[in-house]
Amino acid sequence: MNDTNRAVNRLFVLVVGLVMLLGGGVVAVGALLPDVQTAVSDGAEQATGPTTDALSGGLPWVLWVSALAALVLVVLFVALVVRQGGGRTGTLLRVPSKGSGSGVGGDVVVETKTAAAAIEAALKEDDAFVSSSVGTWRVKGTTVLRVAVDVRKGVSPRDAHGRIDQVVAAWDEVLGEKVPVVVQLDGGLRSQLSNGVGRTE
Amino acid sequence: MSDTTVYRRIVRRETHSSRSGLAVVLALLLAVAFAWLGTEAVLAAVGSAPLLLAPADLVGAVLGAAAGPVGLVTAVAVVVALVGLVLVVLALAPGRKGRRGSAEGRSAVVVDDRVIARSLARTAATAGDLGQDQVSVSVGGRRATVEVTELDGRTADAHAVERAVAAELDGYRFGPSLTANVRTKKGRVTS
Repeated sequence: MNDTNRAVNRLFVLVVGLVMLLGGGVVAVGALLPDVQTAVSDGAEQATGPTTDALSGGLPWVLWVSALAALVLVVLFVALVVRQGGGRTGTLLRVPSKGSGSGVGGDVVVETKTAAAAIEAALKEDDAFVSSSVGTWRVKGTTVLRVAVDVRKGVSPRDAHGRIDQVVAAWDEVLGEKVPVVVQLDGGLRSQLSNGVGRTE
Repeated sequence: MSDTTVYRRIVRRETHSSRSGLAVVLALLLAVAFAWLGTEAVLAAVGSAPLLLAPADLVGAVLGAAAGPVGLVTAVAVVVALVGLVLVVLALAPGRKGRRGSAEGRSAVVVDDRVIARSLARTAATAGDLGQDQVSVSVGGRRATVEVTELDGRTADAHAVERAVAAELDGYRFGPSLTANVRTKKGRVTS
């Protein structure tokens, strides 16, 4: 779970794909369609002279503009890479102080660690789960508490979700407020290697 | 924004690929390529020797290839076009992650298909009084396939298995929903 901008990723992949498809297609199409091939060949032949002249130093500004364009693109690509992931926060809840005139001031801040300690301790008691990890993430402006667990082999996901909801309800009581919660029931290696339930073997 | 709206968004995000791995690889490759092209352009502008190839030679070679395509050039172009096509498909395909989710109730939930498969396997084994290695379940798309292996000429109660698995699936609120398909076969357990 993170705050990656998925639309940008997909748009980027789409644009790169289209450019490759068109570029490769224009050259490859010659083998199938001689007419198109002639047009492409003529165009490329006529363009060869002027462009190579320009790039050979005939027109120095062309080279500088190309270099600048390349730099801008490199910055954009690096920005796209750096922008991936993220969104993890250490703060679950912040309750601003009411009014400045009162004797008691200051905001109330609930750290993620507090929630994590309480919820993980409660889930540790439960045999249905092999392990758990609790974190908070900001996704599109909303802070969400995520409870991720490795479910013991064979436990019904409905049952597992119900048990976690009970723990969440107890945490709601403690916090006095309901924050959005997302439960993730994983079946990775830890789950796979766990002893099954309901049967002794 | 209400919780349900947030939950729908999260379930959608957690059950579909963000394509971030692909985007990162492409962005890094392109960043290296354009860094090189930019460097060559600057070197050519100040009149220094190129690192690998001067821009003029590079453009000349590319245009020359387009002007008179020979077998090799056409082959390379076809490969480039096919890779481009794959990228377009990947950009537009939903990219499901083998998970299901529900945005209803106090908390949103995202379930790994493997958790569902193991739960169904246990349900089937209990209902049919079978060993766990006699049942194998695979979950994908909208179908859960339960395969029961009958041993030593003992017939398994396929109906009981089917009822139990259907009842378990009925209790799920995860989308996309699943339909069970129980098959029996005779034989040995090989695993």
